Amino acid sequence: MSRSKSDDNSVLLVHAYLDGELDPANALGITHQMAETPALATEAERVKALQQAIHEQLPREAAPAGLHARIETSVGGLKRDRARSSWRALAASIALTAMVTSGSTWLVIGSQQQPTIVADALVSDHIRALMAPEPVDVVSSDRHTVKPWFNGRIPSSPRVVDLGKEDFPLVGGRIDVVGQTPVSTLVYRRAKHLISLTAVPAESQHELDRSPRSVNGYNVVHWVENGVSYWAISDLEAKELENFVQLFRTSQTVL
Amino acid sequence: MKLVASGVQESLSGLDDNARFRTVVMPHIDEAYRLARWLTGNRTDAEDVVQDASLRAFRAIREFASGSPRSWLLSIVRNTAYSWLRKNRPATIFTVEDLEAVELENAKPGEPNDETPEAALIAKADAEQLRAAIAALPAPFRETLVLRDIEGLDYREIAEATEVPIGTVMSRLARARRRLIATIQKDR
Repeated sequence: MSRSKSDDNSVLLVHAYLDGELDPANALGITHQMAETPALATEAERVKALQQAIHEQLPREAAPAGLHARIETSVGGLKRDRARSSWRALAASIALTAMVTSGSTWLVIGSQQQPTIVADALVSDHIRALMAPEPVDVVSSDRHTVKPWFNGRIPSSPRVVDLGKEDFPLVGGRIDVVGQTPVSTLVYRRAKHLISLTAVPAESQHELDRSPRSVNGYNVVHWVENGVSYWAISDLEAKELENFVQLFRTSQTVL
Repeated sequence: MKLVASGVQESLSGLDDNARFRTVVMPHIDEAYRLARWLTGNRTDAEDVVQDASLRAFRAIREFASGSPRSWLLSIVRNTAYSWLRKNRPATIFTVEDLEAVELENAKPGEPNDETPEAALIAKADAEQLRAAIAALPAPFRETLVLRDIEGLDYREIAEATEVPIGTVMSRLARARRRLIATIQKDR
């Protein structure tokens, strides 16, 4: 069996048709040809099967966690405010990739369903914040400035408490993104250590209390309270971070 | 794609180099990394290549004027990967032979495919099989296939990224897929 040049062209057109690259007239032409030529129909079936196998078997892997940050560092002089959007995109892409890969319909964040993914994304946000000239979008130790800043930026502004007397002064706040949802992050300070505290609307009222664990060398405390899922991340010692969480939870809400 | 691309260009005017870099390059680091991984064959080398390519992209950021930012970055990654391989993995110098192989393939009329497996069998190929088969493709076939069937670029973007005409993209893609299908059959 030998093929002519025009057969070869038809084969290319079958591939282009399956890739959605043909205009309507050419697409119609090739579908007619496929209907009349079994060899072309078989080619189409095989290519579709191959694409399906590749799609199912070879999920797209995200770049290693630190790569974005290293590139930003090596390029140098990137300013926090401008860089923010791409960092958010990264955080979103980490979570999204994980969602797509797992094939589940993970839509609600902050629940106990996929805590690892949320923790990973938030730890990445925390690391980038540490590397930036400013770890926050709004710089203020005044809770009356920080809380209103979130209004209009995200659906519900977070609970903000003053822990200055306990030596955890408020540094400010920023918006992080988990999955595709913008979330509020408060930043507190203990000596030279920063604490990122992210609040995410929880899926259920189910209360949860997790002891600290380590993600990429950072301590993470996660708990759910009053329908809000909290994530505290810091390079503070686990004990001190727990202490902070305890103070935050028992302090009076302001505003 | 056109609209998106022109949107990017409009938004570039008035931005400094760092801001341009973040708009054009940073959103596509994952794709850059995956392409580098397929071209170098491992994660560590891929990271080195992407870092190196990012610096090149930063230095050349003013040269990005039209087309898709993703294709622009991927073409830099690709060139970086090939020069990196020539320098650090001279044993795997392949581009010249590969290109000759591709020229031969392109000159040949379509080979008979009597032994190609049925679609159902192809669909069941496992990850290892597919990965090995893709890795064994000559580089010009491999990059074309990866950009289309894994990354989902359209033909125009692939043509820009690999710096060849669209007709070449089409024939490389068809031949890459046929080779994979034949390899899957041989594995059985």
